[in-house]
Amino acid sequence: MAAVQDSAVVVGAGANGRPAAQGRWASIWAKHGAGYMFLLPWLIGFFGLTLGPAVASLYLSFTSFDLIRAPEWVGTANYVRIATADPKFAAAIHVTFLYVVLSVPFKLAFALLVAILLNRGVRGLTVYRAIFYLPSLLGGSVAIAVLWRQLFAGDGLINSLLGQFGIEGPSWISHPNYSIWTLVVLSVWQFGSPMIIFLAGLRQIPTDMYEAASLDGASKFRQFYKITLPLLTPVIFFNAVVQTIDAFKAFTPAFIISGGTGGPINSTLFYTLYLYQEAFGNFRMGYASALAWILVLIIALFTAFSFLTSRYWVHYDD
Amino acid sequence: MTHRISRRSVLAGGAALLSYAAFAPRAFSEEARLRLLWWGSQTRADRTNKVSELFKAANPGVSINGEFLGWSDYWPRLATQVAGGNAPDVIQMDYRYIVEYARRGALAPLDSYLGSVLKVEDFDQVQIKGGSVDGKLYGISLGANSTAMMVNTVAFEEAGVDLPTPATTWDELARMGIEITKAGKRKGYYGLSDGSGVEPLLENWLRQRGKALFTADGKIAYDANDGAEWFAMWQKMRDDKACVPADIQALDQFNIETSPLSLGKAATSYAHSNQLVGYQAINKDKIVLRSHALIGKDAKGGHYRKPSMFFSVSAKSSDPELGAKYVNFFVKDPDAAKVLGVERGVPESASVRDALAPSLDDLGRAALEYVSGLGALAGDLPPPPPSGAGEAELALRRVAEQVAFGQLDAKQGGETLVDEVTQILSRG
Repeated sequence: MAAVQDSAVVVGAGANGRPAAQGRWASIWAKHGAGYMFLLPWLIGFFGLTLGPAVASLYLSFTSFDLIRAPEWVGTANYVRIATADPKFAAAIHVTFLYVVLSVPFKLAFALLVAILLNRGVRGLTVYRAIFYLPSLLGGSVAIAVLWRQLFAGDGLINSLLGQFGIEGPSWISHPNYSIWTLVVLSVWQFGSPMIIFLAGLRQIPTDMYEAASLDGASKFRQFYKITLPLLTPVIFFNAVVQTIDAFKAFTPAFIISGGTGGPINSTLFYTLYLYQEAFGNFRMGYASALAWILVLIIALFTAFSFLTSRYWVHYDD
Repeated sequence: MTHRISRRSVLAGGAALLSYAAFAPRAFSEEARLRLLWWGSQTRADRTNKVSELFKAANPGVSINGEFLGWSDYWPRLATQVAGGNAPDVIQMDYRYIVEYARRGALAPLDSYLGSVLKVEDFDQVQIKGGSVDGKLYGISLGANSTAMMVNTVAFEEAGVDLPTPATTWDELARMGIEITKAGKRKGYYGLSDGSGVEPLLENWLRQRGKALFTADGKIAYDANDGAEWFAMWQKMRDDKACVPADIQALDQFNIETSPLSLGKAATSYAHSNQLVGYQAINKDKIVLRSHALIGKDAKGGHYRKPSMFFSVSAKSSDPELGAKYVNFFVKDPDAAKVLGVERGVPESASVRDALAPSLDDLGRAALEYVSGLGALAGDLPPPPPSGAGEAELALRRVAEQVAFGQLDAKQGGETLVDEVTQILSRG
């Protein structure tokens, strides 16, 4: 760090072409100016595109704003309506929680399983890693959601396969009892990024521990429970928090698969999809802003809860 | 407690950042600049751009910048641009949204240009009225269309069923559906699409009963009984396999590509007449237009000639007169008309229709003949839908699915629908 600052002095003074000791601000500028200049693009992005709109949205959440006329202050009316008189909010919360609770554990378990298989010195590991990571790269894309529609439609590939066994499946994506599951499967299929992180975590576990354990006669299963899992808990914790936040924010798959309606019968009405409908479909930007802040609160609570409980099950190696 | 902030502070708050066009460089030249925005397909874009070229040739010194998006992306973009004080000069507007935009002061009244810049005297006067809100003219209709049943003629023929006629009743149509399903000439194929969640179809059926979707003052214009009978009629058709089952109908995202007709699941679909061109483009079998079935042998039809879409001029336009001039060129110039055809509906101007007729292809002529041949089946244009109409349409769709999937019976469906729509409209 010091080396960077030293060079900043040189660059700063050179750029200004004047002595660095004129006044307090000049000296600060000379010392750190170049650093801030390098930070400028990020600072502009942060204040202009993240913090500014966030503050604006907090203000708007206390207004009635139709995007065209000036916002009108309504106090806490939006929040009151969310809490007391909005059945669609309840539906969206239900669908979103269901999605988080189903998709995150399944996805993490699957990612860990694949990471363990890949960790056993498979030949061509890098190729497999790339292949398994691909769905995660494509996952958020519209094309994959469209592909999913094709796979799980009434006459899609899944039902053709089931047909081989004489089972006549419904149109999975358009049946309210099953549609959420197709989205969960889609999410689990995008296990690549937690898998890569698990793989890195597995690599950190010293092999001599396993050697010692096998010498003591511990089974593979026991080794997994007594060595792998405990030493991996920081990585599991990290993945769980990141994936939970991601799942709360999921939007694209539901938007594409239901054509933006959240149907059939609100069964894919993700929270963000409902928020989008209110903002841009029904011109209730103020209400949508309130919904957005409720989501921020929910995610913050979940994350705080994870961190609080983490001390009881996450083991840091020291 | 009322507190207002200026548009500028909203801009500062970042809303304007959403609208990338805010950063677009202003033209440095002296020439007049016109920005257009519309929704639609690539075909429509090609036709529109060609008309813009013609307009530029006729008006040297004007530069035109046109943009288009799909329907569902269009409204967020337009709303954001209007909020950012950066609306395009000429805006394609829908009957559903014209009241919202006009009342909120986003559109320029065009009355002062009538007779001078806008020469629409030979327009169907009803359609001129359709573009008016609170007595002022905010939109010029680009064409007329009507709801219609799209019919796959080959599927009817294979099953040995005659095509529906303008005198076909719902009972008869249901029987046709049953026969086609029973004939089983195609795998997993049904006679009819399930129209219970299709709002224009419900509207047609209600109009035949002397009712409507909305009153002129923006309230619901039918009751729980109407809703219950509507859902019961479709429930019977589902039970009899006259129409597709619920999980197939739910695939329909209410566009041409995902309708049961286009997916090869049913021999009919419910759409608007100007979409015939689009339907035929992706269906191998010959598709024809038919009017909706009647509630009884001597019932009056529930159709009307609807402005398919409007051009409006932004209230913030720096040169509204130039915008109006462009709109007038679009709907009145014979060369423009030849380029546009009936892709946006049948032109409103009588002289343009006459000039256009000989140059139309078969599909164009079929759409034109359908709309102009509705005769006694067509009635008055209903008042523009109120704020919240878009939400009400989604509510109809959801309740129809709840009935179709057996979560509600027809009677509960009617009650739920009327409750929800009433609530939505009261929120505005």
